[in-house]
Amino acid sequence: MPKDGGIGHATPRREDVRFLTGAGNYTDDINVTGQAYVHFLRSNVAHGNITSIDTASAEAMPGVLRIFTGKDFEGVGGLPCGWQVTDKHGQPMQEPAHPVLAQGKVRHVGDPICAIVAESLAQARDAAEAIEVEIDELPAVMDMKAALAEGATKVHDDLNSNLCYDWGFVEENKGAVDEAIKNAAHVTTLELVNNRLVANPMEPRVAVGEYKRANDESTLYTTSQNPHVIRLLMGAFVLGIPEHKLRVVAPDVGGGFGSKIYHYAEEAFVTFAAKALNRPVKWTSSRSEAFISDAHGRDHVTKIELALDADNNFTAIRTETYANMGAYLSTFAPSIPTWLHGTLMAGNYKTPNIYVNVKAVFTNTVPVDAYRGAGRPEATFQLERVIDKAARELGVDPIALRRQNFVH
Amino acid sequence: MSQVSMTVNGKPASGAVEGRTLLVEFLRDTLHLTGTHVGCDTSQCGACVVHVNGKAVKACTMFAAEAEGAEVLTIEGMAAADGTLSPIQQAFQDHHGLQCGFCTPGMVMSAAALLEENPKPSEAEIRDYLEGNICRCTGYHNIVKAIMAASGQDVSKIAAE
Repeated sequence: MPKDGGIGHATPRREDVRFLTGAGNYTDDINVTGQAYVHFLRSNVAHGNITSIDTASAEAMPGVLRIFTGKDFEGVGGLPCGWQVTDKHGQPMQEPAHPVLAQGKVRHVGDPICAIVAESLAQARDAAEAIEVEIDELPAVMDMKAALAEGATKVHDDLNSNLCYDWGFVEENKGAVDEAIKNAAHVTTLELVNNRLVANPMEPRVAVGEYKRANDESTLYTTSQNPHVIRLLMGAFVLGIPEHKLRVVAPDVGGGFGSKIYHYAEEAFVTFAAKALNRPVKWTSSRSEAFISDAHGRDHVTKIELALDADNNFTAIRTETYANMGAYLSTFAPSIPTWLHGTLMAGNYKTPNIYVNVKAVFTNTVPVDAYRGAGRPEATFQLERVIDKAARELGVDPIALRRQNFVH
Repeated sequence: MSQVSMTVNGKPASGAVEGRTLLVEFLRDTLHLTGTHVGCDTSQCGACVVHVNGKAVKACTMFAAEAEGAEVLTIEGMAAADGTLSPIQQAFQDHHGLQCGFCTPGMVMSAAALLEENPKPSEAEIRDYLEGNICRCTGYHNIVKAIMAASGQDVSKIAAE
């Protein structure tokens, strides 16, 4: 145990020595005896119907053990969303199915179509090139407002529309907020894009699945910030493995920034395949693959209005945000623009009337989830930007305007 | 498959490789020296930097067969046999030049190559030399500070950030 000098003293980190000497134990450093390797063949189009998959010549290639497609997962659960949001009418959000491997349709670039398991990673990659996939391409929806327009192409045929939910916080306050804005001495309006981003930790995601026939136990080694939730979601909702028969191990993690919180298809796949093949199965993401399979962050389009009285006191804030969910709901996606964003709109200011509206939208893009602060930075960005704009419009010092309105 | 032999961290090492086997794959998969990391597989991130015949090389950009007969030094060869950290490794710990540790082996190997060429680099020279090493946690400031400290320079005037 290092000596700890208490508050104000630098304390040497216990993990530093192993990281500095190459003795760290990251997931890709784990190799299980007899392991096979999986490579995912992913969609290179944003939206389309899969009309055929021909794996015959790939299956005959050296080292190939088995090629899995969506058919192998027909009776298997999909990846669940872990946070349900109720819309402004009290109705549940729309949650689409999220299969481990695409079932008849691909909905974003990177959607996994086939999983090739081989003796070596190079053999799995070689075999992927011999698979013939025919995709009948469909129009793709990218822009959120266009996705909500009448007659827009639907990302999920079985849902009513591309709207996941239309959320109001707090709906009962809306009348008072509208009234305060109508009666304001000044209203500043700002439209902002909080752009989508990729978390890009230095360590790409990795998952190793292992199965022991002797006691029917599965082990998943994974690059995770959140192994307990993965055990719960994957065990209970995807693969039907009781918790006492499933162990999820998260060793040293090479950065996550949120993107390693969620339960991903590749984790469910290696756990499933290890049992199906009675062989440990390892997946290591490439950097290119990370861009199209790790959950992205942000992607909000917002209109914010700040109302002030004649003495420059804030009297109301009203926002309308379009939040991109991507093609499926990642584990905590619905909570980010709502409970982790809408509830933060007051910031440090004593604004008496606030109403936040959020429309969460499905598009043919990679799923979005929590990233660094998750919703809170988006709220702060809008609020502080609109205050700066208001100060400019009113010709007052932006710091003085803030001080006047601080909670104190 | 062909046989390749080299010296790694002062010891003879050999194994069977394909023509396409990368040096980093040989180090990690055949020799089980997993301290050298793969972060991008496109020669951008520098997590895989090792020394080959004294030069810093991205091990994801060199075939194992190209290292035939070479002297290779990896992060596992940087500390003394009794476990004492090298001055660069110690400075990284003292100045908090790492967080998650994934880029760290590459950073340490690049820093060692820099100090070999330029024993007292300026802050600007260190930043310039590390352009091929990406860190996502630290913001680089303490990495630069650690390398300056390891080269025996006074870092007390560099603000802790």
